[in-house]
Amino acid sequence: MTLLQLTDVTGGYTRKPVIKDLTFSIGQGELVGLIGLNGAGKSTTIKHIIGTLLPQSGEIRLNGVTLNEDIKKYRSSFSYIPETPVLYDELTLKEHLELTAMAYDIDQYTLKSRSEDLLKEFRMEKRLNWFPSHFSKGMRQKVMIMCAFLVNPQLYIIDEPFVGLDPLGIQSLLDQMDEKKKDGASILMSTHILSTAEKHCDRIILLHEGRVRAQGTMNDLRRAFNMPDATLDDLYIAMTKEQDHE
Amino acid sequence: MNNLNEVWSKRFTHYMNEVQKYMRFVFTGHLALVLVFVIGAVGYQYSEWLKVVKPSFPAEWIVALIIGIILALSRPVTLLREPDQVYLLPLESKMSLYFKKALTWTFWSQIGLVSVVYIVAIPLLNTVTELSSAQIWTVLIIIILLKYLNVQIEFHYRYANRGYNVGVDKVTRAVLSILTVQSILTARFSFVILFIVLLLIYDWALVRRVKEQPIPYEHFVKLEQNRMMGFYRFANYFTDVPHLRGSIRRRSWLNFVYSIVPYSQKSTQNYLVYRTFIRTDDHFYLWVRLTAISGIVVLLVNIPIVTWIVAAALSFATTIQLKYALLSSGDFRMDRLYPVVKTQRKQAVQKVLRLFMVIQAIIVTICALGQPLFFVLPVIVIAISEVTFMMTKDPSEEY
Repeated sequence: MTLLQLTDVTGGYTRKPVIKDLTFSIGQGELVGLIGLNGAGKSTTIKHIIGTLLPQSGEIRLNGVTLNEDIKKYRSSFSYIPETPVLYDELTLKEHLELTAMAYDIDQYTLKSRSEDLLKEFRMEKRLNWFPSHFSKGMRQKVMIMCAFLVNPQLYIIDEPFVGLDPLGIQSLLDQMDEKKKDGASILMSTHILSTAEKHCDRIILLHEGRVRAQGTMNDLRRAFNMPDATLDDLYIAMTKEQDHE
Repeated sequence: MNNLNEVWSKRFTHYMNEVQKYMRFVFTGHLALVLVFVIGAVGYQYSEWLKVVKPSFPAEWIVALIIGIILALSRPVTLLREPDQVYLLPLESKMSLYFKKALTWTFWSQIGLVSVVYIVAIPLLNTVTELSSAQIWTVLIIIILLKYLNVQIEFHYRYANRGYNVGVDKVTRAVLSILTVQSILTARFSFVILFIVLLLIYDWALVRRVKEQPIPYEHFVKLEQNRMMGFYRFANYFTDVPHLRGSIRRRSWLNFVYSIVPYSQKSTQNYLVYRTFIRTDDHFYLWVRLTAISGIVVLLVNIPIVTWIVAAALSFATTIQLKYALLSSGDFRMDRLYPVVKTQRKQAVQKVLRLFMVIQAIIVTICALGQPLFFVLPVIVIAISEVTFMMTKDPSEEY
């Protein structure tokens, strides 16, 4: 079953579109990697999906509705982990979790049990009453991750999740992602860490200059580039070279 | 070297634009009004005092002390920026041109304050001393010369010592400047020349050390950052300075306030806005400051109509500034994605403001207790606040 469907989405920050005629979908329980060079349009694509940018043309459906049709249902269906952590300087870690739980209508009992697990997993139990100004970049990232997993939505949208996390943090994140996937949740993840993407993603979307260059499983991609036995790194570099020839 | 001239003039234009942009708000803000009243009152008191001041009053020493201290505060304005440590490095030998321009600007921008203070003191000198008017104006010229020397020396000292122990230099210059001004006010010209020569020797010794040293970019950049930060902080009292992140304090003694917010999806923004308001220094102290001004004026002035006008003006100022501060949406925040209705933020801000304006009304009323018609005050404060909130535009809708 399709959870997220983008159809011919064109858009950007100004009139000049950054992404052009994007069409792809994410099914239930799928982990999809969004891969591309700097400036290929990964973050722009994500901003359109979360609704901070509106498409100039085309349609984005999440859980059967567009943002305009049912904003509450649309927004309740996903949680988002941005590339750079966005925290409230004036809220403690505990209050970040509480605020998120309130916003997504999670009852206090569930909040307590879920946050206990997450705090333990990401080793942040002792920092509950700290303000973000005392957190390192990795800890800030962990706060974002915990808030996102606390919501337990159908779709996780994760932008460059591994930068700034320590190896244990990366492992915890991957474990959480696997667990949620087993429960039927879908994940859209943009990253430059290709080996991890290759290992964990069910499908990969290769973005190039705002368009989908290729998409599918690793085998689909190898066929598309005519490179059997290639790793994702090889394919990525092949795509880069293509750009150089243009 | 045309390049560096250009660098300076570009920086200077940018800096002036920045200053003008924010000074506009300062001069139209409520503090400007308060200042006009204060200056008027102080001026009146001063002129009254001049009528009764005794001839034995040590005017020369007091004027010399104040002028000397102001002269010693001659922080150079270099407009250097952090990347300069890398990009201007190859131009090291030509930087003296840049600094010359910087010091010229420093001199002209700082000459105003000391001249004004001296000119204000002239009526006092006329009353107490026997200086002729030609002498009085000569003193001003010497003060300007001293300012020039102070600017040069402070820059050379900071350069030569990379900013270490700048206090020692300040005290030295302050003492020499005070003595010079005192000597000229008492017409002991040989001392004036002596002290000025001492300052010149001091500067000459520093310049020699400057020549042996690379430019202490780190110190000057830090100095500039502090200066601009101070300016933005000041401007932030009057308007919203976007790149200024207000500092956060827990203020746990106010934690009990948060318990009035129930745990429910409907109260999400309430939960956030209460904490944002109480813990962000900029917002909280703005309220404290304006409430205090209102209370003090009401306490000291016994004319009902005046207290009403002041309380109304400050209620308006508090409401409009806090509304803008809490509703304007600059950077991306996670609550933009929350599945809650968009109007929740505005309602939450209104609720928090209402609570704190009621508290302001109570404080102002307590200050007015016993005055005739004091019970009108809370009605005015709350009514003006409510009307202000309703009638002004919502800054978050601009996006």
